[in-house]
Amino acid sequence: MKLLWAVSALLLSCWRTNASTAPNIITVPSVVSNETSAALTCNLTDNNLQIKGSHWTHNGKIIEGTESTDSAAWILYSLDKITPQTSGLYECVFLTDPEVKKTIEVKTLPHVSAYKHSEHGNENDKGAMSCVSHGYPLPTDWIWFKVEDDDSVPQLISNGTSDRFEIKSTPNKTTLTINELSIEKDIGYYRCSGTNELGTHSDKIHLRVRSRLAALWPFLGIVAEVIILVTIIFIYEKRRKPDEVNDGSAPLKSNSTSNHKDKNVRQRNSN
Amino acid sequence: MSKSKQRSESKAGEAEGPDGGWGWVLLAAMFISTSLVFGLMRSLGIFFVEFVHYFEESAQAISWISSTGLAAQQFFSPLGAALCNAYNTRMVVMTGGFLAALGLILASQATCLVHLYLTMGLISGLGWGLVFSPMVATVMANFTRRRTLALGLGFSSIGLSSFAFNPLFQLLVETYAWRGALLILGGLSLNIVPCGALIRTQQQSKAPEKVDSQSRSSCADVLQRVSSYLELSLLFERPYVTYTLGITLFNVGYFVPYFHLVAHSRLAGFSEYQAAFVMSAAGATDILGRILSGWFSDLGHFRLIHLLSVWTALAGVFIMLLPVSSLTGSYAALMVISMLYGFCSGALTSLAFAVVPKIVGVERTMGGLGLLQLIESGAGLLGGPLSGFLKDITGNYVASFMVAGSFLLLGSLTMVTLPHYFSRTDPPPPQRRSLVDKSKSLHPELQQMKSLPSDSNNQTAQHSGR
Repeated sequence: MKLLWAVSALLLSCWRTNASTAPNIITVPSVVSNETSAALTCNLTDNNLQIKGSHWTHNGKIIEGTESTDSAAWILYSLDKITPQTSGLYECVFLTDPEVKKTIEVKTLPHVSAYKHSEHGNENDKGAMSCVSHGYPLPTDWIWFKVEDDDSVPQLISNGTSDRFEIKSTPNKTTLTINELSIEKDIGYYRCSGTNELGTHSDKIHLRVRSRLAALWPFLGIVAEVIILVTIIFIYEKRRKPDEVNDGSAPLKSNSTSNHKDKNVRQRNSN
Repeated sequence: MSKSKQRSESKAGEAEGPDGGWGWVLLAAMFISTSLVFGLMRSLGIFFVEFVHYFEESAQAISWISSTGLAAQQFFSPLGAALCNAYNTRMVVMTGGFLAALGLILASQATCLVHLYLTMGLISGLGWGLVFSPMVATVMANFTRRRTLALGLGFSSIGLSSFAFNPLFQLLVETYAWRGALLILGGLSLNIVPCGALIRTQQQSKAPEKVDSQSRSSCADVLQRVSSYLELSLLFERPYVTYTLGITLFNVGYFVPYFHLVAHSRLAGFSEYQAAFVMSAAGATDILGRILSGWFSDLGHFRLIHLLSVWTALAGVFIMLLPVSSLTGSYAALMVISMLYGFCSGALTSLAFAVVPKIVGVERTMGGLGLLQLIESGAGLLGGPLSGFLKDITGNYVASFMVAGSFLLLGSLTMVTLPHYFSRTDPPPPQRRSLVDKSKSLHPELQQMKSLPSDSNNQTAQHSGR
């Protein structure tokens, strides 16, 4: 009898010890890596707190439709398509007091895209090309290449390649700035490539360098047209003047008054 | 575009002054120059993205460029008017066109943001100021019975050109980069110069005032001459001051829909595309309103000032209805009210300029226009931030639209206090009071119009149509 009491006391104390440990969430899977779809599950164990509900968050924002007031301890969220947009940090949150949550990382290849696929720059000016990346995790390395038409091996560009090149990179954006653009050397395709722990993705940008004089020709054309128009207008007016009085002007004014006023500072149209 | 003389002669029986003939050529010139001033100003937004990217400045710093340009245009308007009174209108407009082009050409070489403020803002703004008011005043002087129609046609250029310029500028920036594009825009602006050259030189009536050589050194005389060029005496006349006050009140509310309609539509739950389409529709009815109201006003059934009050009151009502219509969530209602608003705002624009000669007399229109532009510029500066402030406080645009509409109604009420408002015909224009013999100090064209007996001299109101 005493033995029975001792054993049950021992069991009771063990059980109470177990009950006083924190609730534990078992996530299956804990990390999603390089899959096309996944089903995220969270199982709340060792819990004696009341579950008032649960929801899922994606990168900190609550996912609509996952909020429930169910007191289920096992919840599921299915990701039908894992894309760079849907990758990131998912959290299952149980609305207990206090809240209990756990994070599941959904990792995927980076998705690199260029800000603009066609960039222009003026000769001797600076030209900038940018690439951004979406997805989780963000690239840790950014590399720029210059792709020649005939070469099969792209040239690597780094901050040391030339003092004209500057690369500024943050995890989600990289910018290659070329100072003093030259038409012979800098025209062509550039490739920005971002690498994270799962792999690499890249995009291509076409850089065009306009000579400084490119806009000059249309401009000079327009200036020539303006000068011609003004000349025609003045000549036409001079030829009309002896024939008729100005259209619609006052007959009160006569030429004599105009000559009188000629002495003054007023500018005539005949210059 | 040169009209034959027969048309103006056939109307000579009832026309009190020039109406057509060379006026149509000048109208074409005004069409082109106004589109190159305001149409260009409205489409400069394309460059802002480029500037933000290149100069790495905030959007607010970049937007100061166009604010400076607009402010300079309005500020220098009286200067342009004064120079036209003192010298040769043709030279002033040609110089203005040259300056506007110069500002843009220099801007293409800018290496820092301050350069852009000085070139695109100040120099081009000065040029625009020297072009707009003189051009409008000249066209108004060349039309009598069809003045409002001419103005409506001329101002329709602003809407049409901003439709055309937006894609054109985009193309220029893509092909030539913003520096090349600005250079070409400078060249385009240079086309204002031949437009100015079309203005026939008239004998300058104020020239005799300069003959007194001893008065050159006398400070008081110089001041007196300057004040007569600027038509400062207008500031002491009740009709002009009343009218200017009314127009200023309009301007506080007038621009609010242009600033905030898109944002308000988005807030009401419509997509970006739908919101932009509402603006385009309002812009299209604006153009229509300008032309139709001009044509209708010239039929002569009503006094211009009455028509102006009606259009303004309607525009005010429609602005106030805008937030109400979107409250119901109906896209169709928002579209209809916006289009009605666009029509009314275009309609009042043509008239607002046309009423000025009726109030100040045709000979003082040039100076009156300049002063009006300057005074109403304050309203434009006030209206935008005020409505933004109201939106920040209340959280939506209902309050700001209501206030804007009420300003328009207030302006309309101010108009009612003009002398002889309730009479059936226009009162005779007040004579200019000055120490100098006024018979010699009139523009020749304007003097001709004044000398012809008529009590329906359209006094063109100066209203900045933007």
